[in-house]
Amino acid sequence: MKMKPFGKKSLAMMLLSCMMLITAACGTSSGGQASGEDTANAEASASGGSSPVKVVWWHSMSGDVGKAAQQLVDEFNASHKDIVVQAEYQGTYDESLNKLKASLGSDSGPSLIQVYEIGSRFMIDTKAITPVQQFIDADQFDISSLEPNILNYYKFDDKLYSMPFNTSNPILYYNKDAFKAAGLDPEKPPATYAEVAEAAKKLTKQGQAGGSFAIYGWFMEQLLANQGAELLNNGNGRTSMATASQLNSDAAVKTLDWWKQMVDDKSLLNLGRKTDDTSKAFAAGQIAMTLDSTASLRSIVKAAGDKFEVGTAFLPKPDVATKGGVIVGGASNWILNNRPEAEQKAAWEFIKFLAEPKSQAEWHINTGYFPITTKAYDEQNVKDNMKQYPQFQTAVDQLHQTEPSLATQGAVMGVFPEARQLTETAIEEVLNNKKTSKQALDDAAKVITSKIEEYNKTVGH
Amino acid sequence: MTLPNPPRSRARAGAIPLKSLRVSRWKERLLAYCFLAPSLIVFGIFLFYPLGKSVYLSLFLTDPQGRIAEFVGTDNFKAILSSDQFCNSLWVTVKYILFTVPTGAAAALLLAALSHQKLRGMKIFRFIFSLPMAVSVGTGSVIWMILYHPTLSILNYGLSFLGIPAIQWLTDPKWALPSIAMMTVWLNLGFNYIVLLSGLQGVPDDLYESAKIDGSGSVRTFFRISLPLISPSLFFVGVVSIISAFQSFAQINILTKGGPMNSTDVLVYNIYQDAFINYRFGSGSAQALILFVLITTLTILQFKFGEKKVHYQ
Repeated sequence: MKMKPFGKKSLAMMLLSCMMLITAACGTSSGGQASGEDTANAEASASGGSSPVKVVWWHSMSGDVGKAAQQLVDEFNASHKDIVVQAEYQGTYDESLNKLKASLGSDSGPSLIQVYEIGSRFMIDTKAITPVQQFIDADQFDISSLEPNILNYYKFDDKLYSMPFNTSNPILYYNKDAFKAAGLDPEKPPATYAEVAEAAKKLTKQGQAGGSFAIYGWFMEQLLANQGAELLNNGNGRTSMATASQLNSDAAVKTLDWWKQMVDDKSLLNLGRKTDDTSKAFAAGQIAMTLDSTASLRSIVKAAGDKFEVGTAFLPKPDVATKGGVIVGGASNWILNNRPEAEQKAAWEFIKFLAEPKSQAEWHINTGYFPITTKAYDEQNVKDNMKQYPQFQTAVDQLHQTEPSLATQGAVMGVFPEARQLTETAIEEVLNNKKTSKQALDDAAKVITSKIEEYNKTVGH
Repeated sequence: MTLPNPPRSRARAGAIPLKSLRVSRWKERLLAYCFLAPSLIVFGIFLFYPLGKSVYLSLFLTDPQGRIAEFVGTDNFKAILSSDQFCNSLWVTVKYILFTVPTGAAAALLLAALSHQKLRGMKIFRFIFSLPMAVSVGTGSVIWMILYHPTLSILNYGLSFLGIPAIQWLTDPKWALPSIAMMTVWLNLGFNYIVLLSGLQGVPDDLYESAKIDGSGSVRTFFRISLPLISPSLFFVGVVSIISAFQSFAQINILTKGGPMNSTDVLVYNIYQDAFINYRFGSGSAQALILFVLITTLTILQFKFGEKKVHYQ
């Protein structure tokens, strides 16, 4: 009987928690209404022109790069009185895309979202976006000054579905001082696989390994494109939907063998999957060479500081004569089609602003991403920056020397993020002596192919 | 709630006719269900509804946005049970349980036995030993991420003084799972320690005194008196640790993301990847159901066989 008062109390607690739940649920639904009103406002402003149109931009730029992005947004907002862009950092590209997936079919999504290049096929297949081409055509917007290699990547069926914003490619970073100490010519960085392996051996000594490449699927994709090998069938998924992975090509096996050989003779460290860890080791002088994105250039040069001079070189190839080039990495901005027309137009205005030579010049200098428009190179601040940091030139040259082909246009598939994961696991299996390069890549290609098939089945192609 | 009722009803039965007895019994039952209703609603919304939905989803294929695309019957289950990745995940999970549960309980028991002594300043030790409980999984993982860092690892720095070459804690497939297990043991130490210490403190002093009079040494006293008497606490720690080991996720997501070579890809992480990264809700739900069955069976088995060895006072 003593239970009774306690029971009452816990009942009250339960009722209270129930009420809290219900009110919480109500809270979100009223939130939904509020955003509905916002869009109504946006439409009203389009006709009446009273309050500014709000554009919500989801992006994945953090740290210094995030600050540079915010700076661009602030400049846009200051110069456009009728539009307010609200930039929201949504975590990494993966996280942001996952949030978008969860928000599709509801009103909680953004008006504009930055998606990494490998999410492009998925974005098109969602049918939830308005192709940027529509605005380009309607506006007679001149895209002739845009970097042709970048356009090549983002054009599907000769249409631009999204507008490229930040583009980068991988380069070889090396420690010039370590090169000197090892008797290598710091002005003549290794260009071929054999040269890299040889340099790595010479650079390896107590407390310093020749180099380290993060186990990052992107590097594998780039190393393949750099020798003209396609990752998928059907013209890398460009001529028609890809149905099979070609990850087990000879080019890939050769590349992985080369990588493994260096790990085996201890001239290359295996530091795991994060480029963050390799760049830290590079800055600490523990490794003398590393692969990383050009977007990290600024921070790597800063981290090396006065300790040593950072050199940059092209991504290595099996031999000099191999044809190929790098794929344009980075991300583009997509306009969602469930937003009112006025808001989509406002988002387009912001996209145009971001593509201006002046914005791109500023962006390039602050980050290391290269400008998407060739006109940016004429800006004085870009010229000055190139003089101060000649390392920036490498990325630009590498991009310009890339010969357009289906391989360098980049592979297109809906399950790209997953394929990358599987590739990374395959590399790990090889480096840790579980499988041979051929075996691991065969297995990975088989799994990726089955994932592609399943994807194609569910999107109805 | 219904247990104390019969005597009371019987007392009334003397005065009130049979029919109204039945009515009042019904009334009482109804009242009981009213009291239970709130928790039933909460369980219903957050447990039974999702469970039902999982069963439903496990029979379908979903498109990349997670929408239902096609009915596939039991194909998801067949595909999972025959896939290498699932077998690997299951094996990793078993290893992970073997690494964390016995060591975690043993370490906590050792600390509890040591700090059970009545000495000055023991409270400080007790405070320190239960401290990991106040650390969240996320914070703990970040701390250990730095300890395990491939090039800046403090643990490796310490090992270098002993002349041991650096260990790639999280990037070597041989070490990744033990490293995560080590971190988990530390993380769960606080909770296990508190449970076992309170168990030890519940052992009556007169038992120790009579043991002392009989000339039993401290080791013998521990194994013959303390250990059997705290077996309910040990059993509890065992059951809870196994369930929480099955459900470990955050430390793996932060430290290794299932890698390298899927060597830390425990079941829950595999489910997360399938359902929320690759948006295959069908196969994710099917795996979740298999995990549910596994945990339920294991817990029933533990209660059936393990509990027999437990000594309740």
